[in-house]
Amino acid sequence: MSAHLQRLRRAPALPISIALLIVIYAVGVAEIDGFGGQSTIRAVLLLSSFLGLAAAGQTLVILIGGIDLSIPFVVGAANVAVAQLAGKGMSFVLAIVIVLAAAGLFGALNALISVRCRVHPLLITLGSGTAIVGLVQWWTKGLPVGGAPNWLSSLVSIGANTGPVPVAPVVVIWLVLAILFVFLLRRTVFGRKAYALGSAPEAAALALIRPVRIWIAAFAISAVLAAIAGILQLGFTGSADATVGSPYLFLSVGAVVIGGTAIGGGTGGYTGTAIGALTLTLLTTVFAGLGLGDALQQTVLGLAIIVLVGAYGRGAHVRTRI
Amino acid sequence: MSEVATVQAAAPVTPRRTVRVDPTSLFGAGLLVALLVVNLATNPSSFAPANLAATFGLATPIILAAFAVTPSLLVGNGGIDLSVGPVMGLVDVIIVHDLIGRAGISDPVVVVVVALATGLAVGLVNGLLIAYVRIEPIVASLGTYLACSGVALSLLSSPGGSVPNWLGELAGGASVVTVLAALAVWWLFTRRPAYTQLMATAGDERAAFTSGIDTARIRVLAYVLGGLLAGIGGLALAAVLGSADPTVGPNYTLTGIAAAAFGGVSLAGGRGGILRALVGAVAIFLLQNLLTYLNVSPFLLDVAYGAVLVAAVAVNGQIGELLARRRRP
Repeated sequence: MSAHLQRLRRAPALPISIALLIVIYAVGVAEIDGFGGQSTIRAVLLLSSFLGLAAAGQTLVILIGGIDLSIPFVVGAANVAVAQLAGKGMSFVLAIVIVLAAAGLFGALNALISVRCRVHPLLITLGSGTAIVGLVQWWTKGLPVGGAPNWLSSLVSIGANTGPVPVAPVVVIWLVLAILFVFLLRRTVFGRKAYALGSAPEAAALALIRPVRIWIAAFAISAVLAAIAGILQLGFTGSADATVGSPYLFLSVGAVVIGGTAIGGGTGGYTGTAIGALTLTLLTTVFAGLGLGDALQQTVLGLAIIVLVGAYGRGAHVRTRI
Repeated sequence: MSEVATVQAAAPVTPRRTVRVDPTSLFGAGLLVALLVVNLATNPSSFAPANLAATFGLATPIILAAFAVTPSLLVGNGGIDLSVGPVMGLVDVIIVHDLIGRAGISDPVVVVVVALATGLAVGLVNGLLIAYVRIEPIVASLGTYLACSGVALSLLSSPGGSVPNWLGELAGGASVVTVLAALAVWWLFTRRPAYTQLMATAGDERAAFTSGIDTARIRVLAYVLGGLLAGIGGLALAAVLGSADPTVGPNYTLTGIAAAAFGGVSLAGGRGGILRALVGAVAIFLLQNLLTYLNVSPFLLDVAYGAVLVAAVAVNGQIGELLARRRRP
């Protein structure tokens, strides 16, 4: 791999965001009684895995220069659709397969419309996401019949172990998917094309990289991962809820940018996003432990995003781009 | 010499005076007309002279939200202001809950000044973060989005309070004042050289910078202008709600951006203006009005809203693309 590509893929944010993670953890341990034990770590890892999965696709989509605002809607729609299909007597595994396939198609359609009509995916994904949740809700009349089977709940229960490892199986699933995702971005032709497309679309086109294919793949992957997060959430909460994904509208973008992936594409990677997801979840947990309300939490989150991105995600001055 | 003279005489340079209509504005306008016709046919009572003022009043927060996102979209280079909705909500909370409710100051001048100053301040912060700290607009304004909605929630955790009569009037017959004020601000802006410089920055930031335009200052100006319009929008929101509510503001960001795009304001910058935002906002309001009146399931309302949004943006994009192709030799 060329030195240039290596420089592009090195996440300058990593040392800072890891340090931040440790600082937040230390504050939690110092200020909150009983914080930092096994149960805290179990809970933070579990909650991070949902956000981490939902933000994985967002990382890829942002890397190629897009953004996917349909993630919260896909999380909610998949959550409800799987419960409804299973509630109508379909085997749960088949329901998952159908929902994931539908999510993939949905993502591909978003990409196709954005690329073909040359419009920013921000509004396309927002509109299609609103429509898909409405459709699923209309189908279930707002009251999905089914729930989660026991095996799914045991995957995401805080007390569950994965063999000898004392974390819920979903955390292990997240870890495996994270490794695969980093491999996909760093070691495959697809990943290389995605970075090329994100950093210089015109040059990528001259290198015979077909943007339509990459965009379709990226948005489809994003939707499928969001759907997986939604299905796992069903196991966590036990009953279906179409609004379960709404925090991810901005949290998924937040995790990506805190992790050092630049909006506009071309730089960053999934390791940063995974740490970003951990940081955001830990921050929320510590705030909850300190008894500070939602309002202050949101304010601090907003300031944190600005300060962190201001520290390591600054753009180039126009005079250096001439 | 005489040959040259003949050639010159044969091809007199007379500028053709034709009104050119940019087709990217037509889709939104057509949609507006169609929606107006359907609305009038199904639900004439809300457009009867007696109710028209109240109906228009309901539309003003959407219209002003669409106005407020327009300058940042126009300046291009990834320009977008997500904080518009939370700013409107924050203005509502500050003026109704803190200024009028707690401090007991309901003098119109003070209230209006505080509302506009709040909007301007957030706009200035956005602009400085984006133009000088050089944080991507979507990230910087996401930060201020979260901060503003957080501050609004910490000032007031649940809806409450009431508005004085003069402010309540802004939801009825006087609602047109806020929109006219915003239009006047925009009109004054378009008379200034800064407007041309803004459009130049949107077209090609590097070329604009090389020709001596202080592009950073222009970008700050765009966000400050958006903040000012959001401040006016906060007044309209307070009037329509008739109370302080920290939860409704944030919804207006995406509605405003959708409305601007509906009307034909390009998300890539450089194309559009506040009149297109007006067309788009009224169209979105009419769509919501129609679907609510038809009493369809709220879920189907979401489906229709989402589908029309995607269709409008895609068609506008397609028209823009065709135009660009035709202009290229």
